[in-house]
Amino acid sequence: MTSTEAGTTVSITRQPNAAAGRAAPKGRRRGPRRPPGLPWILPAFIFVVGFVYYCIGYTGYISTLNWDGVSPNPQHVGWANYVQLFHDPVFWDTIRHTVLFFVVTFTVQTAIGFTFAALLHSKVKLANLYKVIIFVPVVLAPATMAPIFRQIFSATGQFNTILGDIGLGSLEHPWLAQSSTALPVIMAITIWEWTGVTFILYFAAMTQIDKEIVEAARIDGANGLRVLTRIVWPSVRGTTIALAMLSVIGALKTFDVPYLVTLGGPNYATEFLGTFIYRVSIPQAEVGYGAALSIMLLILSLAGALAFGLRGMRRN
Amino acid sequence: MRKSPNLRRRRRVIPAISIASFLAFVLAACGGGSTSGGAGSATSANITWWGWTPTTQVAEQYIKAFNVKYPNIHVTYKMLTIAGYNAALRPALASTVGPDVFDVAPGGANGSVETYSPDAVNLAPAVEKALGSDWQSKLSPIGVSSLMIGQKLAAVSVGAVYSGTVWINENLFSQYHLSPPTTLAQWTSDCATFKAHGIGCFVQGVGQTAFNEDTLQAISDNIQPGVWAKAIQGQVPWTSPVIVKALTIWKEMFSDGIMEKGALGVQQYPDANNDFMSGKYAMVMMGTWYMQYDTQAGMSAAISAAGVASPKNFTALPIAFPDVAGTGHTGALYGDSDYGLAVNAKSSNQAAATTFAVWLGTSTAGQEQVANALDDIAALKGIEPNWSNISLVNSGTQQAALSKLITNAVSSSEPRLGTVTPNLQLAIGVASTTVASGSATPAQAAAALQAAAAKMPNHGAV
Repeated sequence: MTSTEAGTTVSITRQPNAAAGRAAPKGRRRGPRRPPGLPWILPAFIFVVGFVYYCIGYTGYISTLNWDGVSPNPQHVGWANYVQLFHDPVFWDTIRHTVLFFVVTFTVQTAIGFTFAALLHSKVKLANLYKVIIFVPVVLAPATMAPIFRQIFSATGQFNTILGDIGLGSLEHPWLAQSSTALPVIMAITIWEWTGVTFILYFAAMTQIDKEIVEAARIDGANGLRVLTRIVWPSVRGTTIALAMLSVIGALKTFDVPYLVTLGGPNYATEFLGTFIYRVSIPQAEVGYGAALSIMLLILSLAGALAFGLRGMRRN
Repeated sequence: MRKSPNLRRRRRVIPAISIASFLAFVLAACGGGSTSGGAGSATSANITWWGWTPTTQVAEQYIKAFNVKYPNIHVTYKMLTIAGYNAALRPALASTVGPDVFDVAPGGANGSVETYSPDAVNLAPAVEKALGSDWQSKLSPIGVSSLMIGQKLAAVSVGAVYSGTVWINENLFSQYHLSPPTTLAQWTSDCATFKAHGIGCFVQGVGQTAFNEDTLQAISDNIQPGVWAKAIQGQVPWTSPVIVKALTIWKEMFSDGIMEKGALGVQQYPDANNDFMSGKYAMVMMGTWYMQYDTQAGMSAAISAAGVASPKNFTALPIAFPDVAGTGHTGALYGDSDYGLAVNAKSSNQAAATTFAVWLGTSTAGQEQVANALDDIAALKGIEPNWSNISLVNSGTQQAALSKLITNAVSSSEPRLGTVTPNLQLAIGVASTTVASGSATPAQAAAALQAAAAKMPNHGAV
């Protein structure tokens, strides 16, 4: 059986005497059936449960403490850290920033990545060079780029110089120093950094589209834009949903760019959950409150991933 | 298809081996290390020292001098970033393989002595053995009191740092025939001149808010000495007219063109430091730790680190914070022990670690090394830099200025950050940036700061 969906082709060959249709020999086994692969997955299973889920559980426990992280006598405070969290205006700021950040970065990255992927599927000279240029920012470490972006967007930086040179001096601005512009700069840096991933995934998904369908559409008189919107875009829907899911999780975990470029400022204008958790847990040594924020981050990440996952499944 | 007995046996054996191997690995990992707290030898061991300061180069100088007297104690220094220090030290001290010696500092911020005191041994008996029963009188009081937790000397102060000074690039002042500012009006005028020649005037990384406190404390001390320190202790409300006026003058520094454009997006390190070192700005708000850049080698390294290909040293000088309020109260300095060396209570080399910490913090040889590095002001009284061994960029001008700075600093008892908790520091930072950005008036910011401090235990003081 072959099914084509969301830009991928899956081939399933039904085996004769598959488990569902095969009767177990009488009298060979008694008692509960043992899962055949359990011994094989047990080490990995123990590792995951023992380390990952234990850590999550331990973080949940810490979130009920008033603790600096090293004191031998942490104080049990029940749900107080969660109550504090919901009354903390900075927490709600981080949620607002995260939502805005996700909407803008996902939309722009999708638009640019999809457009580049479509363009580079046509016969373009030096296509491989363009692919490298688009993808290079993905492999550059944010720690390396942060001082450069701080310089570019400083009041005397190159961005303002360019604006002045092209006659847009009135738009010159201390971009990182104002609450109204610092967050858009962080978004712009993120888009620059991650569009390469969006592009490469769309590019790969587009190679899976049956060329005959596109040719048939062209024979039926569809122009390029129509082919893109009616054939290509629906065909890569699975990729779009996966990217949306990753973007939600990425937005919730955002840390490096705002921390390195603006330290979450000015006046919390670029504070995200990640930077807030770090600020609370390390410099302020409120490890219990930081753990409560981490649990909230986990819940929001799971909820976001599930929402997009279920939406994708329903559509399927 | 029938499976051979061998194959079936192998199918059972392989998972069993893999599970057994995994369990062995886990048990080995869990069982590793020991909780030995044995003192070990006081004159022979390999010890590790973790800190965010001094630089690796300076630490190596200290260790080299230490090894002249203790050749069999090998010290390995690991320098961590300021931002990453607490994150690295906490789990290290919780384990049994943490550093033998580690930096701590007064106050609630980086490497807080309050936080890490339970992990440190009491060094008072060792210091008493080294200096005698009147040991406290031989050390800088600010270094002892700020590192004592109850009756326990949690760390030996290596040296102190003081702030309250503005550092100027004297070459730029000479080039444009300007005098260092002494009043707000002259400061504004100097800045206008520098800007007219394409030179930045005063650079401060307002985005890295801990340093804003230095400037605000300088302004506040200029208006009325001591009020800032009392406000930290909760003895004066943050809504005091002095604090409100300090915030007002702070705001004027932005509107009068003293602060650089976009200061809110600039960090003190590396941005402001690099801007000053590369000669783009004529003034920066820094403390006594900047003395190290008055040496030929220190300045060349700093200019290179600022991204200048062919470093050309210039004369950097400390000046008193200008009389911005017109009161005549100038020259205030406030400081703390820069850092102290604590000995890990879980170390198996406690004796050797103690030997090193006590030698660096209390011996004449160790403290001369500290004084000569010009990073910290020595903790042992009577130790001053040996100027004949220090190659200054412009000794004729700088030596007198630095000697005066050191003399004034050691006579100051006003604390800097040592009595401020991180939460209060954060609240002060918010007040400074909201006023600077215009999103709050000085009175509103002071009221918000007071409201935040009122919710903190002990009003946010350590």
